[in-house]
Amino acid sequence: MSTINFAAREINCKIVYYGPGMSGKTTNLKQVFAKVPSHLRGEMVSLATEDERTLFFDFLPLDLGSVQGFKTRFHLYTVPGQVFYNASRKLILRGVDGIVFVADSAPNRLRANAESMRNLRENLAEHGIDVKEVPMILQINKRDLDGALTTEMIRAVIDPRHELQWHEAVADQGRGVFETLKTVSRLVLERLAKGQ
Amino acid sequence: MIEPSLALYGESFDQVETYLEDLLEATGVRYCLLVDRKGFVLSHKEALWAPRPPALDSVATLVASNAAATAALANMLGERTFSEQIHQGEQGAIYVESVADVALLTLIFESSVPLGRVKLHAKKTIAALTVVMQNLKEAPVIKFDADFGSNATALLDDLLG
Repeated sequence: MSTINFAAREINCKIVYYGPGMSGKTTNLKQVFAKVPSHLRGEMVSLATEDERTLFFDFLPLDLGSVQGFKTRFHLYTVPGQVFYNASRKLILRGVDGIVFVADSAPNRLRANAESMRNLRENLAEHGIDVKEVPMILQINKRDLDGALTTEMIRAVIDPRHELQWHEAVADQGRGVFETLKTVSRLVLERLAKGQ
Repeated sequence: MIEPSLALYGESFDQVETYLEDLLEATGVRYCLLVDRKGFVLSHKEALWAPRPPALDSVATLVASNAAATAALANMLGERTFSEQIHQGEQGAIYVESVADVALLTLIFESSVPLGRVKLHAKKTIAALTVVMQNLKEAPVIKFDADFGSNATALLDDLLG
């Protein structure tokens, strides 16, 4: 549930970008950071290794503005995608209000996508959460790759029941980045409005 | 909901503000923050003479993440938690201690400030804050009116195009 600070009249929502390593989670945040006017965003914090792989998380705060007298903010996080950083991924999921699952369209990453989604379900379950309780959007990234997997194939392994809204993206060119963020933000706010 | 939201408002909030103000005065630290476990600032105070603080959102996020990682490490080593963290640099230091397992008191100060004094006063403040945290009441339910959705959508359009 979003954190509502009644004293400061603030609503804070935590959105986490999840997905396999190198699928483009950090790239999404970098695009948002680059394109949102500086007065509406804070500093981007990246805890990465020397070769720019996410070690713990990336973080970017965004100001939406005032909704019914409450200053509303989104805190965007990425998780480290590499398999062996699972302890970090679990920590970052604490307090999550919305999830963007960034899938990789590269032909050799179908299994990695499926394993990452399974890992997400397991980590949420460890926190006592059913994956269906959290607003989630699927972003199918790297659509410009030669031999990219079909979206049907990716959805078949990640979301076989076709329950998730999804967007195609080429995050390093900014395509699909804002559409995805907007959709997940809307779902989070809708849930908030229902008092959930 | 994974982490509980703290309903810190009204009288409780005023009490916390007073305790932080007193702590700031007693210790001589620059900045004093109460952060929840999700990394959101619940309350903060800064000394009148202090320079503009760093981005508090980032500070709070890093403090909470660091505390979460430290707690995970403690569990792996068979400890319930490591309750306090101190990081000392050449110019300044940061002291973080858990409050009733739900929040983190964070003090940022110059290295000329004696750590012993900071710890002594911080522990007294934590005892007082713990009582406040334990007596927090249920958060009031916010009734958003019918325009909430359209207002939020309009703002999202402005922010994200």
